[in-house]
Amino acid sequence: MLREPPEGLDLLATARDVLLNELLPALPPDKAFAARMVANAMAIAGREAAQGAWEPDVLARMTALAGAPRAFAAAIRTGRFDPGSADHAQAAALLDDMTRARCAVSAPRALGKG
Amino acid sequence: MDEAPRARLTDWLRAASGDAALVIEKMALLSGGAIQQNWALDVSGGRAWVLRTDNAATLAVSHGRAQEYALLRAAFAAGVTVPEPLFLCEDVAVTGAPFFVMRRVAGTAAAHRVVKSDTLGGGRDACVRALGRELARIHTITPPRPDLSFLGTPPGDPYLAFIRDQRAALDRQRNPRPVLEWGLRHLERTAPPPVPPVLVHNDFRTGNVMLDESGVTAVLDWEFSVWSDPHADLGWLCAKCWRFGNDAQEAGGIGPRAALYEGYGQVDDTRVRWWELAAHIRWASIAVDQAERHISGVERNLELALTGHMVPGLEWEILRMVEARDAA
Repeated sequence: MLREPPEGLDLLATARDVLLNELLPALPPDKAFAARMVANAMAIAGREAAQGAWEPDVLARMTALAGAPRAFAAAIRTGRFDPGSADHAQAAALLDDMTRARCAVSAPRALGKG
Repeated sequence: MDEAPRARLTDWLRAASGDAALVIEKMALLSGGAIQQNWALDVSGGRAWVLRTDNAATLAVSHGRAQEYALLRAAFAAGVTVPEPLFLCEDVAVTGAPFFVMRRVAGTAAAHRVVKSDTLGGGRDACVRALGRELARIHTITPPRPDLSFLGTPPGDPYLAFIRDQRAALDRQRNPRPVLEWGLRHLERTAPPPVPPVLVHNDFRTGNVMLDESGVTAVLDWEFSVWSDPHADLGWLCAKCWRFGNDAQEAGGIGPRAALYEGYGQVDDTRVRWWELAAHIRWASIAVDQAERHISGVERNLELALTGHMVPGLEWEILRMVEARDAA
């Protein structure tokens, strides 16, 4: 509230519009790819900054199932959450929720088709 | 390239080709991969060549130039459509890195253009049929091959070897990857019985195949080749993550899966589908490694950084594939 608006998200989005609408058409073709990468990076950073906290919930569920992420990954490898096991559905739901949250920042289009 | 190495290169090519009057008329950097540099050489007598050499930062999993040259020779001899390999130079004193020279081939490899075209490669159907035939020729190369000894001992079970190698890669990485573990565990539970290994190109996909209007002009990028199950190449080509947005054309975003299989010959679809899931896991792990080069500071680079952000989308696809395969 004490920061000066417009804040970072607004600036990122506005700057991205300038990049795509004003700069990109004026760039030589061999620089278009780099400009699109910059726009993509700005979009990812913007989505990350706008996203609510989901990690505490996911980590708590992971801890309840197996422990820290590394222990959870190791338990998957040994087959502890195979289909038919007691915690299979919970582990699958946890992976879904975690990946959905990760995609919301990195690859929102992947979810559109999921 | 500076004048001194270019002069040394000219001398070296004169000796290698037996043409003491050889002159490099023109030398231009082509758009190369993240790992190699490719130079177009225009050489006296109307010769159009490509010089392929290493980039500064090279992925540990890829073969060096000498090995790639050996693979290219083996493929050329097997009748695979590849640029004819001409000369190999392992002496770093000539240009600063090992290199080889091959004939230059015309065509387009750019994946986003290829999947949009209805005519490249002779049309979608004909193109994937031809790609199937290329793969079948590659897979006629079988161990033992002293010239390809750098590929190591062929695995007794290519499926379990893949899982072991991918787990070892995950164990080398910075962060645990529960979704990739989930996919690998599924692959372990569902691995088909082993098949005798053959030469697998291991990066045979849209973007690594050069096409013109009449067909395939070159199969490129041999640096990841392994002894494995031939279905691995079909799975890599058909994997959804390598269709470049043109999902309806299941063979690389180019054409129908059925036409690819027909061009190939004998295909066990169950095995191909196993490798399609495997392809998503392997590509995700490669993407993690590429982003790590940026994160670690080895090579600060926006393209590498963004490649890391492809991982969650691949993970989502892996979860959906495992779910569907477990339900089937």
